[in-house]
Amino acid sequence: MDVQPSLAPPPPPPPPLGGHGLHRFANPGRFLRLSGAVLPWLAGAGILLTALGLGWGLFGVPADYQQGDAVRILYVHVPAAQMALGGYLVLAFVSLASIIWRHPLADLAAAEIGPVGAAFTALCLGTGSIWGKPMWGTWWIWDARLTSVLILFFLYLGHVVLVRAFDDPTRGQRAGAILALIGVVNLPVIKFSVDWWNTLHQPAAITLSGAPAMHLSMLWPLLTASAGYACLFGAIVVARTRAAVLERRLQGLLLVRTEAAR
Amino acid sequence: MTGKRRRIYLVLACAIGLGSASALTLMALSDNLVFFLSPSQLAEKAPQGGRAFRLGGLVESGSLYKQTIDGHPQAKFRVSDGAASIEVEYDGILPDLFREGQGAVALGSLRPDGKFRASEVLAKHDESYMPREVADALKKSGHWNPSAGPPPPAATWNTLPTKPGG
Amino acid sequence: MTHLPYILVSYALGIAIPLGFGLAALHRMRAVGRKLAAIDRRTRS
Repeated sequence: MDVQPSLAPPPPPPPPLGGHGLHRFANPGRFLRLSGAVLPWLAGAGILLTALGLGWGLFGVPADYQQGDAVRILYVHVPAAQMALGGYLVLAFVSLASIIWRHPLADLAAAEIGPVGAAFTALCLGTGSIWGKPMWGTWWIWDARLTSVLILFFLYLGHVVLVRAFDDPTRGQRAGAILALIGVVNLPVIKFSVDWWNTLHQPAAITLSGAPAMHLSMLWPLLTASAGYACLFGAIVVARTRAAVLERRLQGLLLVRTEAAR
Repeated sequence: MTGKRRRIYLVLACAIGLGSASALTLMALSDNLVFFLSPSQLAEKAPQGGRAFRLGGLVESGSLYKQTIDGHPQAKFRVSDGAASIEVEYDGILPDLFREGQGAVALGSLRPDGKFRASEVLAKHDESYMPREVADALKKSGHWNPSAGPPPPAATWNTLPTKPGG
Repeated sequence: MTHLPYILVSYALGIAIPLGFGLAALHRMRAVGRKLAAIDRRTRS
């Protein structure tokens, strides 16, 4: 077979290191630009929707036929629970990016998601407890739903401690990523605990398969508050990651200066 | 890129191993993770020797009997799951949500006479949320008798107007 | 309103926690921004 000189243009030069795939976003300059543009909108939407949703839940929603006004706690409890689970999902994805693609930004983001997720999980547990006392008659009960969410809280705490536990940050980040991925097992357990086992906690009112077991006048404020919390959670994580990137740049600059001064 | 590919396979292998291990564990545990027993489960196999356990089910309509003796509230009611029911005695204050036709979970033990002696009673509420007006409308139209059980399917009421004619 | 104390504590927590984290993050961004700007000025002068 003859080797013919090709008339096609020469193949493009290989992309610069880290210039393709997910590593496009690893470029801190790109991340800073992108997040700087998104952050004000995310924060604004979060504040607006949360204020609307919680205000609606507190003053606009009719009292429940059996729970009375205590049902209003739902508008804090359910969005907090959604963020506890959703935040962990993001943490797991970011950990996957850290382990497989060795994505430097992913490590920074993982360390910043942990504390926020832990706080929202604590909020979910706290409001659940406050809701449980007048309705169920107890602050706490070791049923499958409550216990699995408590485990989620400990997973977050473990991640927070682990990523900061080593002198060599890379080792902590690797260990934290592995812990976060192992903990993913807990997410379906939380979600389906109310269906798999007898629990004191009631099953989900809003399901993909059927009509929501919640009157629309109570559902819309919940969806608003959920959207608000999601935006707030995102804004907080993006802001913290921005700060972490800038702090790293600052450290680098200080290091260069001290070396130069020598 | 072999390093990346190797890590992907490693993560996949770990995920499969971990996933199946936890699925097996959960399946093995599922019998022991029972938070409460229903009256029919109890009729089949009752815990022996006054062991404490939790009993759960619906509070039978018309079975609740409350009295206060020397300032100590006492209650008697029957817990049922449709197929079987059992009488429960409890000294203490019942939670706000405790009602006939609603779920309840009681901690206690079986007495020799076959009654359940509760030391703690918790109310279990179902997952339906509706304004009072809607609940009243359902009751008035005869679609739902709250003391007989949970409300009808949500699609029949979750868009009803909250004000008559509104 | 029934159960008012329970409701108020829940909403207070639900507002305080995101607010606290948000303000802390804002403060952190501003602090590091200030320090970077200071270094920038010194290297230029």
